[in-house]
Amino acid sequence: MTKKRRRLPALIKDMGSCLFKKPFTQEYPFVSVQAPEGYRGRQTFDPEKCISCGLCERDCPAKAIELVEVSGKRMPYFYLDRCIFCYQCAEGCPRNAIQLSTNFEMSTTEKDELLVKAEEFISKQNISSDEGQ
Amino acid sequence: MEKFETAVDVLKNNLADAIVELKVPRPRKAYILLKSERHRDAVSLLLKHVEESMLSTISGVDLGTEIELNYHMVCGGTVTLKNRVPREKPVTKTITDILPGANLYEREVFDLLGVVFEGHPNLERLLLPDGWPKGNYPLRRDWTPPLIQENDSGSEEDSQNNSEEDDVGSLVSVVVGPQHPVLHEPERFNFTVDGETVVDVKPRLGYVHRGIEKAAERMMYFQDVFLVERICGICNAAHTTVFCQAVEDIGNIETPPRALYLRTIVHELNRVHSHLLLLGVGGHLLGFEALFQHVWRDREPVMDIIEQITGNRLMSGFNTIGGVRRDINPNTVEKALKTVKAVRKRAVFYKNVFEEDATLRLRTEGVGVLSKEVALKLCVVGPVLRGSGVASDVRKDDPYAAYAEIPFNVPCYDECDTWARLMVRVDEVVESLNILDYAFNNLPGGRLRVRVQRKIPEGEAVSRVEAPRGELIHYVKSDGTAYPYRVKVRAPTLANLLAFPDAIRGGYIADIPSVMGSLDPCFSCTDRMAFVDTANGQKWRWSLDDVNSHKNRRVLL
Ligand code: SF4
Ligand code: SF4
Repeated sequence: MTKKRRRLPALIKDMGSCLFKKPFTQEYPFVSVQAPEGYRGRQTFDPEKCISCGLCERDCPAKAIELVEVSGKRMPYFYLDRCIFCYQCAEGCPRNAIQLSTNFEMSTTEKDELLVKAEEFISKQNISSDEGQ
Repeated sequence: MEKFETAVDVLKNNLADAIVELKVPRPRKAYILLKSERHRDAVSLLLKHVEESMLSTISGVDLGTEIELNYHMVCGGTVTLKNRVPREKPVTKTITDILPGANLYEREVFDLLGVVFEGHPNLERLLLPDGWPKGNYPLRRDWTPPLIQENDSGSEEDSQNNSEEDDVGSLVSVVVGPQHPVLHEPERFNFTVDGETVVDVKPRLGYVHRGIEKAAERMMYFQDVFLVERICGICNAAHTTVFCQAVEDIGNIETPPRALYLRTIVHELNRVHSHLLLLGVGGHLLGFEALFQHVWRDREPVMDIIEQITGNRLMSGFNTIGGVRRDINPNTVEKALKTVKAVRKRAVFYKNVFEEDATLRLRTEGVGVLSKEVALKLCVVGPVLRGSGVASDVRKDDPYAAYAEIPFNVPCYDECDTWARLMVRVDEVVESLNILDYAFNNLPGGRLRVRVQRKIPEGEAVSRVEAPRGELIHYVKSDGTAYPYRVKVRAPTLANLLAFPDAIRGGYIADIPSVMGSLDPCFSCTDRMAFVDTANGQKWRWSLDDVNSHKNRRVLL
């Protein structure tokens, strides 16, 4: 069955060549890494488009969305600690108010930071529209 | 396919008086309602007349006044034999004497639905903790979780069980786990060893039991897709494919051809990276760290492709009921084809390594032998079955998704040892890459998904796929609402686990990791527990007859 004659293990050449290559691993976080287009990262939300229909809240399989009254309109809060990044919310939203981003960097030492409030997007929008003017 | 027709004919001709209702709604799927307590006759008939027929699982369904036991027999397709027992007095006869592979499935039903199987050699808890209060059967429809909170006495009894096993003579029991550096997932093994030789093993699982089947009843169908995806990270595409197929079956939903091809692609990418992972782990368990590092490096491009196609490295979130959720663009196809080519080259190289490396062969050849007969008796699945000389593959026997149109081979080895099981996987990587090549090049156009109502009409369906670890089966029953009435999952590791004691018995302690690894266990999938008892000082090397004799079975199973 097994051949009696001793030979060099087949992997040895590969192992040798690796000695002269740079490491395969990436030097994250010192070198930033770009997730590919279409990667399901942190949600972005457009308060202007939202019609408070509540579909996102009802459909979310992880119960990670809660509609909260923000400046006179019910809008989603995202609990990222529960979110499974399935994007059912984005898929179901009738106005495309929820969009995906490729931002995957969410590690934090504060659990509270994982609550994404609709207000965040309101203020951001104001800033960007101010800049535009 | 012929096998399936023979199976149905055999039952029709020989058991006409016992059949209440016979339905064949789809090719290769039969549902047969039997008169009470005639299931044993039906199972023995199938075993006798249909070659290589096995039991997939038993799913119990609480129908209100009765509990329905569905014996899903694999004979070309799936023949589901239904036996109903009254809920008030749920007692039926075991089939473990005809088919030892039914052991764990009967225990599972006993544990979760409270059906007593008369004559079962070892009817004990399988999944729930030992301290679980009596009379609580989670999968009965009227059971709700809060009931158990007060008197859950935890794992005290559990540890007592452990200490019972005193060392007898030269036998020593060694407990490994639940947390142990050698294990990747929490589970506990109680090995009985005599010097360097393993005399017996008693695994205890259930440490990652999450009650997903129950949870699935409380979520809508489309949400359940994300839930079943999380049964297992590494074969997530298999779980979603099989679940979506079952629901599509019930709702008579036609999935567009492009979606079927895309499903196949993600499913196969899953298999490639899962097998490469295992081959690397195999090297690691044998102490061949360089192999481990190299294989895992070459697995990475596959992960990148998955990330690009599905939007995540692991949790693909790709399948949905009625199709798939996103399209694939031509650039990605081009890149994927390049990767496929590169990885194929590496896979061929690794095949050479596995064939030629003398040390590797010494450590795996003749180790962990599982003969063809035992494999069939214990109803093992997937690469373990194919490593024991049975060329059975759901993709060929009962084609789903796009497999009917794609040419591929089913690798099969007759050596029955650890080496054979590893080789099956090396060959399958190459086959999968060929399938991918074909699928990318022949991707049909058209729609990605069809619109599906939230409510699914009344009905039931069994669906099977070939997950990387073997046959994966889901049984879904709908009562016409948006929420499933019952979802039953049987992951491949549960089927293969029964074979572990047989494979390792008589081997060396040093071979434990590699034999275990060659079964490619995935405990979060399985999350069930098992078996056996010994400690009577007996040494082994049982013949098949010994295994089957009633006296020994109590000890063995
Ligand atoms: S991505 Fe999924 S889990 Fe997260 S908020 Fe949206 S629907 Fe919920
Ligand atoms: S589904 Fe869209 S429109 Fe409806 S509440 Fe959610 S974000 Fe707003």
